[in-house]
Amino acid sequence: MPVKKRHPKLEDYSHTLRLLVKNKLALVGMVITIIYFIIAMLDVVYPRYLGVSSTNSLLAFGIPVSVTPVGPSFSHGFAGLLGYTEMYSLQFPLLPISLAAIKFDMGYSLFIVMIGAGIGTLVGAIAGFKGGYIDEILMRVTDVFFSVPFLILALAFIFLLGRYIIMAVYALLIIWWPIYARLARGQALYIKSMKFVEAATASGASSARNIFSHVLPNVLSPIFVQISLDLGTIMQLFAVLFFLGVISDPYFPELGNIINQGQNWLGAGLWWPVIIPGIFILLFTISINLLGDGLRDVLDPKLRR
Amino acid sequence: MVEEQQEQIKTKNDGEEYLRVENLVTRFFTSKGIVKALDGVSLSVKKGEVFGLVGESGCGKSVTATSIMDLIPDPPGRIISGSIRIDDYNILNDLPRLAKIDVKSETDVRVKRNKKLIKRHNFVISKIRGNKIAMIFQEPSLALNPVISIGKQITENILLHNRVEIANSIIRRESLTEADIKSFYEQIKDEKGDFRPLVNSWTRQFAVPVAEDEIVNILRSGADREMTVRELSEVIMGKKRGNDLNVISTMRDYYKREEELFNLTLKLLEAESQNDQNRIALLEQQISNLRYNLKKDFSSFLWKRRFFRKKYEAVFEDEARRRALELLTLVNIAEPTRVYDSYPHELSGGMQQRAMIAMAIASNPMMLIADEPTTALDVTTQAQILDLIRDLNKVTGTSVLFITHDLAVIAEMCERLGVMYAGNLVEEGPASELFNNPLHPYTTGLLSSIPRADVKSRNEIKLESIPGSVPNLITPPSGCRFHPRCKFKMDICAEKKPALVEVQENHKVACFLYSKEVEN
Amino acid sequence: MELRYFIIRRLLLLIPTLFGLILLIFFLLRMFPDTYLVARYINPKSSVPVSVQIEQAKAALGLNYPIFIQYFFYIKALFTGSWGTMSTSIYTGPVLSGIELYFPATLQLAIFATILSIIIAIPLGTYIGARPNSIADQTGRVFSLTFYAMPIFLLALLLQLVFGKNVIVGNPLGVLPIAGKFSFNAIGAIPPPWFNASTGLTSPTHLPLLDALIHGDWALAYSSFIYLILPVVTLTLSLLAGILRFIRAGMVDSANQEYVKTARSKGVPESLVIKRHIRKNALIPTITVLGLLFASLLGGVVVVEEVFGYYGMGMLSLSAITNVAIYGVLGTTFVFGITLMAANLIVDIAYAFIDPRIRY
Repeated sequence: MPVKKRHPKLEDYSHTLRLLVKNKLALVGMVITIIYFIIAMLDVVYPRYLGVSSTNSLLAFGIPVSVTPVGPSFSHGFAGLLGYTEMYSLQFPLLPISLAAIKFDMGYSLFIVMIGAGIGTLVGAIAGFKGGYIDEILMRVTDVFFSVPFLILALAFIFLLGRYIIMAVYALLIIWWPIYARLARGQALYIKSMKFVEAATASGASSARNIFSHVLPNVLSPIFVQISLDLGTIMQLFAVLFFLGVISDPYFPELGNIINQGQNWLGAGLWWPVIIPGIFILLFTISINLLGDGLRDVLDPKLRR
Repeated sequence: MVEEQQEQIKTKNDGEEYLRVENLVTRFFTSKGIVKALDGVSLSVKKGEVFGLVGESGCGKSVTATSIMDLIPDPPGRIISGSIRIDDYNILNDLPRLAKIDVKSETDVRVKRNKKLIKRHNFVISKIRGNKIAMIFQEPSLALNPVISIGKQITENILLHNRVEIANSIIRRESLTEADIKSFYEQIKDEKGDFRPLVNSWTRQFAVPVAEDEIVNILRSGADREMTVRELSEVIMGKKRGNDLNVISTMRDYYKREEELFNLTLKLLEAESQNDQNRIALLEQQISNLRYNLKKDFSSFLWKRRFFRKKYEAVFEDEARRRALELLTLVNIAEPTRVYDSYPHELSGGMQQRAMIAMAIASNPMMLIADEPTTALDVTTQAQILDLIRDLNKVTGTSVLFITHDLAVIAEMCERLGVMYAGNLVEEGPASELFNNPLHPYTTGLLSSIPRADVKSRNEIKLESIPGSVPNLITPPSGCRFHPRCKFKMDICAEKKPALVEVQENHKVACFLYSKEVEN
Repeated sequence: MELRYFIIRRLLLLIPTLFGLILLIFFLLRMFPDTYLVARYINPKSSVPVSVQIEQAKAALGLNYPIFIQYFFYIKALFTGSWGTMSTSIYTGPVLSGIELYFPATLQLAIFATILSIIIAIPLGTYIGARPNSIADQTGRVFSLTFYAMPIFLLALLLQLVFGKNVIVGNPLGVLPIAGKFSFNAIGAIPPPWFNASTGLTSPTHLPLLDALIHGDWALAYSSFIYLILPVVTLTLSLLAGILRFIRAGMVDSANQEYVKTARSKGVPESLVIKRHIRKNALIPTITVLGLLFASLLGGVVVVEEVFGYYGMGMLSLSAITNVAIYGVLGTTFVFGITLMAANLIVDIAYAFIDPRIRY
């Protein structure tokens, strides 16, 4: 039996969720992602659970001792559970600073992806639906953005805007929206050709109305999948920017930053300053990818059974 | 005319069965529940017959066809039970051992597959598919591989099933002598009237059909005996390719042994299904001997083939190409050489479907399953494709299982007819009988739902459609699956399932209005 | 025949993309305040007043012309090789010469990683994609997901930790060098004339492995090869993971298509169905994302150069950023863009080669 290609409607969302929960890997991904959210929230609301009044700077965790950082052990209480790292002759307990870093890594990635997706989707949907020269301009602009590797482009924009955290966020925003614009444009073109939109246009619906009531709701599910897959990529890029040392804020709690400082100890055979924060990144990117894959599987009508 | 047709039907009814399907049950295990797609379908198609299968969409026609080809996608689907005899061999004889199905609940079904047996089953079935039974599909644009040229897709089929035969004809061609040509001339010179068919069959036999026109011209020129024979041998010998006969005969012998091996495997599967231990042991012994000998006797050939595959294949591909071009001409494609090298997207829907048919009949299967072959085409092309299928049936004697929801097409094409509803065959009989005297309420409804110009005597039947729609097969109605929509519903209908029984000569129906028999 | 026309058309399409790229670079340049650009021409100790100096510098740089005239000047400058100069910790001199010195190393890493990934990914992806949900498939998915999700610097550091020489004491796997392009011991006491001791680069290709092979210096060739392993493996694992995901998805998708059913209905044995009918179609979606994957590979090369101290254009770019060398940043960005464009061209041609539908 040929399966008709269609977009899941609202009433299907409970079925979607059921299928998602049935997919064990996606469930694991979802649970871990939610845990990360909770940790990020805790960092905002109750930073004193991490032993500090604010988690906005690593300096709050710094301990002025000059010995080789010790590895993971149970003998140093909760803070020392995963060992210590050293930067700029201060020692930092890895577990609390990694947890504190989650807030920023996650918050900024979410911010970038959401705003990027919002702008991109709107622009793409309008261009795809309106067609003509608006569409043509959009395609050329996105072409230009795609002609330079993401990281290189981000570096160039950070260089232009200034080497600060917020500028890194802007830079990533600037390079990320075209992906969504392309995706939404493709979907909009497809939906535009469908009968119900033609009918709406014929019965006098304005294009703004069409875009908001037909196009946007229907492009949401592929955009949603893309967001969940991109969250991990953006977090990686964000960490890479810090790791490369282009952001000039040594005490910013960010996992790439912590690893960048920690790699100095690699030569001395200390693995934990790199591996522990690395696991925190990896766990998140893997989970978000599992969740994204699971979402795609249940939202893709072709795979939906 | 009508009498003649009926005469034909009668003789065909006495004919041998080529396909016999019994109690076929196919299910799909989905996340929403088990779809009981086929619920004990039985039908048979005789040699040379066109059998129509008709019903609303979603009634299981395509699933029946796919099941007969053993192409049900697994997961989610599986054939659960039943038998499918193709040319007197039951392709499902190892079915119960292939997988254990553990139904915990509607949405939780665990299938434990025996990979080794499934592999053997697939090996056997792949030698039957395309060779003894072939299929053409509804949407040629989807059914043709978009990245492989039409020619390659046709020769693929030829090269899969006709190796021995190709090798033989090449050998015949390469070892042609003057004496052969002389005897051919002797045979043909006394032929009065048109000698083209004779020339045609001779050239095919010796794989030199390219010389057909030249031969005919020489024969027509009316020169004396010696002169003609000399000219003939000049032309025919010129068609030789100078292939190494040793190599080709080695290859022929190798492929022959492979065929033997396959036949033994068939016998083994049969013996296993009968649980005949002595025969199983004997056959297993024979198979392992044959395998061993195959490896031993052809070890040097196999080694060489591994490294010079292209060179070895070229001879066969060359011949396969020639045959493919012939096939393309046979299905009325005007420029076979151009179409041979083109890709599916470069052809129109009608041309694609012709190419598809050429591909299906490439290995001369005795049965063709046509699954709504004209639904996706425009009306004029439809008629041409239907004519083509009918011609093929007449010329080659290929049986056709024709699936459609279009009753007009059925009336035009088919000698016998089966009506399906919700995974059951509800009525079966000669087409004319079913059209004039439908018994099952569903058939009646189906026939009256189309305007009919051809039957004036039944003017009294109003144009009406059947109320309701095809039921959800996850939770099909109990008893007779048609009863919720039936005008003549009785109490028994919801409780028991009627069996398909012969109520008139050659006319079977599954309905309690006509018999009280119940399916076990 | 048709393929040739496709390639010509595709080459012509490069022209607008190239001008778009130049426009982007030009945009980046002009977004800097004028004072930024003219600052290096100002000599506060000179007798000429600073305001006059600024005006002179502006005139010299053509900043007084309308913006689109400036754009044409910029294009001209790019095509005539006037890419400006840069002064950073690793290189001082004209930008173009700097790129010429360091770009080969970057390209080498990218090409090795790409070729290795494709060679491994196609058979592996075919194997696991043909057996969805089998143990091989599950393992493959875990592998590709892990390396796809892992930030590349983490992967690089992990490999250094496990295989790096002298990183962990007594690690039997720790045999590979973790930083540099070759061992200076392999050079010998008297460096050969094709080795420039001040930049640490070899001539003529600036790739130590290739140059050593050209000059027949086996010791250096071996050393360069050993030093290449970890950077290339890092990039390969990360690219492989991405490609594998798409090939697998493509295989699963293609296996559900009608033409596969047709192939089976012809009696094509399962192994040939996979090789002939499923795989070729499965490669099509993979090829379409290959350009995107290559873009992220180039980003990865920058990180790998940094972690393994494998001096290439990425390092040049990073040093330009930290040393505020505007023309260095723009030049390297431009060349990275050109590289990606070339890669996309190759990808598109490969696409047309596999999918006949695209040629028309």
